[in-house]
Amino acid sequence: MTRKGRRLALIGSAVGLMALAVGLILFALKDNIVFFYAPAELAEKGVQPGTRLRIGGLVKQGTVERAPGKPISFTVTDNVKDVAVTYDGLLPDLFREGQGVVVEGVLETKDTFRADSVLAKHDETYMPREVADALKKQGLWRGGTAQNGPPTTQSQGSP
Amino acid sequence: MVVEAGHFALVLALALALVQAVVPFWGAQTGDGQLMSVARPAALVIFGLVAVAFAALMYAHVVSDFSLVNVFENSHSAKPLVYKISGVWGNHEGSMILWVFILALFGALVALFGRGMPDQLRANALAAQGFLAATFILFILLTSNPFARLVPAPIEGRDLNPILQDPGLAIHPPLLYLGYVGFSIAFSFAVAALVDGRIDAAWARWVRPWVLTAWIFLTLGIAMGSYWAYYTLGWGGFWFWDPVENASLMPWLAGTALLHSATVMEKRDALKVWTIFLAILAFSLSLLGTFLVRSGVLTSVHAFASDPTRGIFILAILVLFIGGSLTLYAWRGPRLKPGGIFAPVSREGALVLNNLLLTTACLTVFVGTLYPLALEALTKDKISVGPPFYALTFGPVALVLLCALPFGPSLAWKRGELLGVAQRLSVAAAAALAIALLIVSLRRHGPILAPLGVGVAVFIILGSLIDIGGRVVKRGASLSVTWSRAIGLPRSIWGTAAAHVGLGVTVLGLAATVWGVELIVTARAGNTFDLGPYQVTIADVASREGPNYRETYAEAIVRSGGVIVAHVEPAKRFFSSRQTSTTQAGIVTLGLGQVYISLGDANADGTMAVRLYWKPLVTLIWIGAMIMAFGGALSLSDRRMRIGVARRAVTARQLPQPAE
Amino acid sequence: MIWVVFALMTGVALICVLWPLASPRVSHSRATADVTFYREQLAEIDRDASGGLIAPAEVAVARAETARRLLRAGEEREREGPAHTPPKWRQGAAAAFALVTIPAVALGLYVGVPSWFVGLGSPDLPDAPLEARLNASLADMDVSVAIARLEARLAKHPDDGMGQEVIAKLYLAVGRADEAAAAYAKALELLGETPQRREDYGEALVAAANGVVTADARAAFETTLRADPSRPKARYYLGLAAEQAGDRNHAVEIFSKLVAEAPNAPWAAAVRARLAALGAASPSPGAGAAAEIAALPPADRDAAIRGMVDQLAARLARDGHDAEGWLKLVRSYVVMNETDKARAALLDARRSLAEDSAALARLDDLARELGLGGS
Repeated sequence: MTRKGRRLALIGSAVGLMALAVGLILFALKDNIVFFYAPAELAEKGVQPGTRLRIGGLVKQGTVERAPGKPISFTVTDNVKDVAVTYDGLLPDLFREGQGVVVEGVLETKDTFRADSVLAKHDETYMPREVADALKKQGLWRGGTAQNGPPTTQSQGSP
Repeated sequence: MVVEAGHFALVLALALALVQAVVPFWGAQTGDGQLMSVARPAALVIFGLVAVAFAALMYAHVVSDFSLVNVFENSHSAKPLVYKISGVWGNHEGSMILWVFILALFGALVALFGRGMPDQLRANALAAQGFLAATFILFILLTSNPFARLVPAPIEGRDLNPILQDPGLAIHPPLLYLGYVGFSIAFSFAVAALVDGRIDAAWARWVRPWVLTAWIFLTLGIAMGSYWAYYTLGWGGFWFWDPVENASLMPWLAGTALLHSATVMEKRDALKVWTIFLAILAFSLSLLGTFLVRSGVLTSVHAFASDPTRGIFILAILVLFIGGSLTLYAWRGPRLKPGGIFAPVSREGALVLNNLLLTTACLTVFVGTLYPLALEALTKDKISVGPPFYALTFGPVALVLLCALPFGPSLAWKRGELLGVAQRLSVAAAAALAIALLIVSLRRHGPILAPLGVGVAVFIILGSLIDIGGRVVKRGASLSVTWSRAIGLPRSIWGTAAAHVGLGVTVLGLAATVWGVELIVTARAGNTFDLGPYQVTIADVASREGPNYRETYAEAIVRSGGVIVAHVEPAKRFFSSRQTSTTQAGIVTLGLGQVYISLGDANADGTMAVRLYWKPLVTLIWIGAMIMAFGGALSLSDRRMRIGVARRAVTARQLPQPAE
Repeated sequence: MIWVVFALMTGVALICVLWPLASPRVSHSRATADVTFYREQLAEIDRDASGGLIAPAEVAVARAETARRLLRAGEEREREGPAHTPPKWRQGAAAAFALVTIPAVALGLYVGVPSWFVGLGSPDLPDAPLEARLNASLADMDVSVAIARLEARLAKHPDDGMGQEVIAKLYLAVGRADEAAAAYAKALELLGETPQRREDYGEALVAAANGVVTADARAAFETTLRADPSRPKARYYLGLAAEQAGDRNHAVEIFSKLVAEAPNAPWAAAVRARLAALGAASPSPGAGAAAEIAALPPADRDAAIRGMVDQLAARLARDGHDAEGWLKLVRSYVVMNETDKARAALLDARRSLAEDSAALARLDDLARELGLGGS
């Protein structure tokens, strides 16, 4: 093969590989992205039950129920709409009533949600991005932004 | 006075960095040795000045000088000394100072050890470093000044988040930054080569030790960070595909590619244009990583807009350096002379494949990290991209890369024989296949990924060992001959083998996670649970007071076949000053696996939610990373990598030489 | 002094630029470096060949390739010839650039440029390490510093009863009444009982409850008087307690007796004021504060009542272990015609007092009495 031919072959294979990768990425993006909604948006968009979602808001005061042998249940609210959430697992350290939270899981009916992972606000200044935005929109949250964001404390049913 | 001296030193460092960016560059353009010679002492003095600033800030933290806003907001007089020190870089302002400190350190090292380097190259590279330093110091001074004062000084600081008071977090950022900023040297050399319009094998030799150094630290930093997440976050995960983690993985992938392509360039004078591109890419991704974490853009795209000065400054820096260097690349790159030729099946070919796969893997992570941000900025739709995305994109690319890996070191330069290599590797492949099949037959129902992963890991480890063995052991040679051959083998070859074995070991640890056992139980004192090969008894649950927290802890006893093998004490701490609780996972290493217990919330009836894990071979993940770093260090210690080598060769040339 | 340090640093920065510009040097050209490098590489190919790292057939080609580059580098070195001497003016220009840039940028940023840029530095501000501030002489120490100093000491020696007592006084002085009460409680525990200490503890409790003499505080004053029946402060607070509980006659009795015993005491004026307030009140069995409020014009009165109720609610939200407080709050809401709030307060009270069955019973009684339903 000539020098030029080799070069072309090299570039050709590189382009081919990249194309393959881009194809993979697009394919994966189609099926594996999870949308985030605040409870009010959820009601607005009419999301179908069975969809995988992230929901963020505040844990409503006085709604956390722990009973031995049963999943934990609580209500996530954006002070407009509420969503009842059940979760079977350990809650993260920073999970508290009245604090920001993001839950990921499956919408079971129009306003009940089965979470398989719960992310709580990390400290006074750090809040999961989506929660902060959602709350800001509602005018409920003032305050700084995270300056150092270590991974959020997270809790999952099964990795 | 100490504080203000540090402040002034930082301002002065900016001024001197400006001179360093201009004068040596001008000298290089005009071939004026006098002007170029300014670069070295200036780099050393800049380092000295930044060191004074960094030390002053550290002093202020240690003596709790709350007249500094930065100390007041991030420290507390009652904090243990070690966390007062680590608190220096536990916040945005301080971490930027650490960043610049390391940048100046690398500049000074180039000045000290780059004696044999051509003047032009060094002058241009140090000028580029000076420009980087000036920009970053300006950013610090104007938007995130750690020396901002507070009058009157408050009497007590605002503490540091208890979750950040951890030895792991004390050393994680410096390691990571040594890695990130280490790539700045490769970047500066790449810019210098582009400005100069000349690049050759010698360039790669100058750059390679720096790339290797950065890569070693970055490897250790990432491993450290993942272990920190593993033991503090309390649910046993060690990699989350979190944007913060991806931010460090991307430069690592690009840096690994750079490391390999620079070898080709040094040995064979080929892949020059590509190597320059990778050098720019690795540092650009480091910059992106620093800013993804620091700018608050991850917390909220809109936080970026809510703090316009900092946000716009960051954007300007990214555009300036990434855009500027890529423009320079597009303009000057095509003029660089192409180098040596090679057959597709050869060491070079294998390394090209390695590079393509690594950059592709990097691309997948890049898209997964930035796509949600871009989408939100454009359409306001909020999405998240989780592990399934990476399993589908990063996974296959990594798998191909791992399978191809053992072929690389066994192929000869220029033109290799695939058949011969395949023959040599057939033993490793057979062993890997046998082990994978054995696992499949033993555990019929397990996921297919585990035997596949173990097989690949075994293939890599054995392949690397066989390659080394083939070089050392000759049929019929005596033991002493073998030994001397082993000693005679260049250390970089040992280093390559070690790093590849380390990667195999990590893959083995990752594959074994599939066999982990996880239990979430409601327990009360006296309960016993079966956990994989062990039985865990929660002997007692009680609480006690710590220095600044109250903790609920459980005494757990781990038995194996009735024999007690370990005591574990997981706890949950509550810090009343911050109304924050942290989980202290109880971890005990048994063999290469770990029993990991973390406590959840207490129920009303006195029972407690407890998470129990058995994680077989999990320590291999981090042991593998350490082996990789060790391999890097071994390569770095290779005679040929030593940085002053050309100078020594210059002196040697004056001596009578044997005819070649 | 600090300017000397700044000048020295600036001097070093200038010298590191000017000195290399002024001193002659031998240049190390690229070609020379390249020649050495390619020689090295040739040797390396030989090593690789003997180690089997490169196929024997390729050795010759690789050698030829490198040798060709070595040759080219050698030619280049010849062409370069002796290094030409650079013109002097360029060094001068570079030196001038450094001489202007370094001081101008450093001072411009640090000190500032009038009417354009405010300097970043505060050269006149001394360091303020905590240790030194805490060791400063007592005379020029403010209360917060003294507190910090004592806190640091008590963190190390929590058993220092005297320290607890002193810090309690300081806390009270700066209005940190909760902490003052806690410190007095510790001092009582560590140093033992004295009427004075018990009385101070009671006073801190009153301050912590925003002037309300709580059951705990009353107990403290009663203990004090059992040990020393003459102590005026304890008696005064018990009088206040009676007033707040609506027992006007008892309050007047206590206050009058106090004034009669010591008409010239420094606190007598305060007691007289209380008496006057009670005397000016309507004859109905209204409490002192209530009477004062009753005397206000209607709009102000409502505001005053609401303010007191809100204060109480806020306190209970912080610390709900006060059955008396809850009862009062629920009652107040009903009086203010805010039944919804009353119901909510009742619910909160039940939650806060869940462990106290006696209090729960009283809450139920109250709910029945006010017709709030016994849910």
